[in-house]
Amino acid sequence: MPRYDPIVEKDGKRYFFRFSVHQRVQHVILFSSVLLLAITGFPLRHAEEPWARPLYDFMGGPDLAPLIHRAAGTVLLGLFVYHTIYWIVLFIRDDLGKLKAQGKLNLRTGTRAFFSQEMVPNMKDFHDVVHAWKYLLYFTNRPPRHEKMSWREKFDYFAPYWGIPILGPAGVLLWWRDEITHYVPGIVLNAAYIMHTDEALLAVLFLFFVHWYNVHYAPEKFPAATVWLTGYLTEDEMIHEHYADYVKVMIEQGLEEEIRPQHFGGQEYNW
Amino acid sequence: MNACYSYKSFALLAVIVSLIAFSDQVPAGDELNCVMCHKHRGLSRIDENGEFRLFYINQELFDSGPHRRNKCKDCHTDIDRIPHKPAKKVDCAQQCHIVEPSGQKKFTHKPIADTLARSAHGKLDADGKPKPYQDDFPECKDCHDQPFYRPISVYKGKVKSGVSERAVTRCKACHTSGDFAEDFYEHVTSRLRKTRFPLETIEVCAKCHQDPDFRERHELDDVVTTYKQTFHGKLIALGSEKTPDCLDCHVVAGENTHLIESQTVPSSAVYKDNVPTTCRTEDCHTKAGANLAGFQTHVTYDRKKYPLQFYMLMGFKALMALVLYFFLTLIFLELLRRLFPNFTFIKEKSVDSSPQQKKS
Repeated sequence: MPRYDPIVEKDGKRYFFRFSVHQRVQHVILFSSVLLLAITGFPLRHAEEPWARPLYDFMGGPDLAPLIHRAAGTVLLGLFVYHTIYWIVLFIRDDLGKLKAQGKLNLRTGTRAFFSQEMVPNMKDFHDVVHAWKYLLYFTNRPPRHEKMSWREKFDYFAPYWGIPILGPAGVLLWWRDEITHYVPGIVLNAAYIMHTDEALLAVLFLFFVHWYNVHYAPEKFPAATVWLTGYLTEDEMIHEHYADYVKVMIEQGLEEEIRPQHFGGQEYNW
Repeated sequence: MNACYSYKSFALLAVIVSLIAFSDQVPAGDELNCVMCHKHRGLSRIDENGEFRLFYINQELFDSGPHRRNKCKDCHTDIDRIPHKPAKKVDCAQQCHIVEPSGQKKFTHKPIADTLARSAHGKLDADGKPKPYQDDFPECKDCHDQPFYRPISVYKGKVKSGVSERAVTRCKACHTSGDFAEDFYEHVTSRLRKTRFPLETIEVCAKCHQDPDFRERHELDDVVTTYKQTFHGKLIALGSEKTPDCLDCHVVAGENTHLIESQTVPSSAVYKDNVPTTCRTEDCHTKAGANLAGFQTHVTYDRKKYPLQFYMLMGFKALMALVLYFFLTLIFLELLRRLFPNFTFIKEKSVDSSPQQKKS
């Protein structure tokens, strides 16, 4: 995509392209709706707690908060469908289209193309997970070298792909409980209730601890990473998190001579 | 001895009080001037059972309740002189001196007491034999304290709490004498919504139904706790008055609230075959299918009773534990790793990363 330079230099620093405006807007819609869903849903989940009622009242109370929750849920489901289509369209247009143009499109190359998409987990990720544990347990002094998307980012990315298919339909069932009970037995609503409430807890705990660690609490990110706004990563972040991709982009841009060594954390960080 | 002591002390108190409070007005309904003594906040004693008894009457609160037009003696019938001896417990089923305007009969709560006797809360079983643990069965005052009116006013389509000047204007055009218009207005409009806030209703039921000893004696589930885990209970905890409390589902629509029956009785609102009707009243899940009745309320995560819920919950807990322990351990180790970036058991030669080693 020529619209975005892979490397932008500003004030003597290099910035590496990550996300297009289109993707950044999707992320803003995603986290806004998820936050709204959480703060209108969790007071209900923990209605007996002292903080629940003030928060629920702040969100409009029993009359308004459910409407906000359902509106945000609708937006999130819409985004989920939109993003899935966006993903499929990109795959067909760019990956399969390229193969077709070369006349090499068949089931094998198509499947391979699918698994070489930057967000799709592959064997490299499996090795990286093992490598990460080796590094964290001091069995090697070299951290894994991630490509464009690390396995943790892929997990983050696919978390909604298991969360929303559970939360969304369950939420829809609970929303249209009266209409739905003409067709399905009532116990389906019991199941939907557990699915909605427990998957929501998992999602929120994962987001608030793990995802927010990745983008907020980690020492070099605190108080907040900026890539979701700018779309670009700094050189240090690239070296730390995506060394393989960093090296690849630098070579592609003819900057092979200026490639810096991989970070190990600690004093070697200069930000 | 005790009674004699209290009699003397009351007499003394009465004299002192009458001296200092001579000029006080006598409130309506208090023709015996009981409030002369009972208005004092400290009016109390330790009774024969060693219990602290407070005899103070807050006139302002009393006047905002439905009994405000009763004379003290209507209920406390055994008091015939002042100062008086310890009075008997009030029997709510006795006739009082109020004449009920629709039937011109003297008013009594006896029909309510009779209804209660027929309900699950009655002291006798179907064969007329006393049920075990007689003391556990509620009397009127175990659920009802002195109630307050909760009137509403409607003006230009806007509903608000209390009696507004505008609301009673049209009553007072004809009913000019005394407080009749206000009284009647409050009597009627307080019944346009529940006398109690739903949370209070739940607390009333919880007094017994959440007590573990009580539940064990009568082999009952912890229905209050499980109710609070439903959307109904949760919305009420968050201040809603629109979702059902215990009474809305356990009393047949249109039936006397005091006729709560066991789910095993065919006329009960929660008897298996009646649940669809109970859920689908015109104010609730009107459009729902009959299947809504299959929704299990008062669910515990008991493996035998509710296997679906139990295994789903266990599944989600396991998943949550797996995901969170994995990532939180990872985060913890990573933060720790930053303290010792260069320490390693096995040193790799390829650490310094030239572009040639970009394949990891």
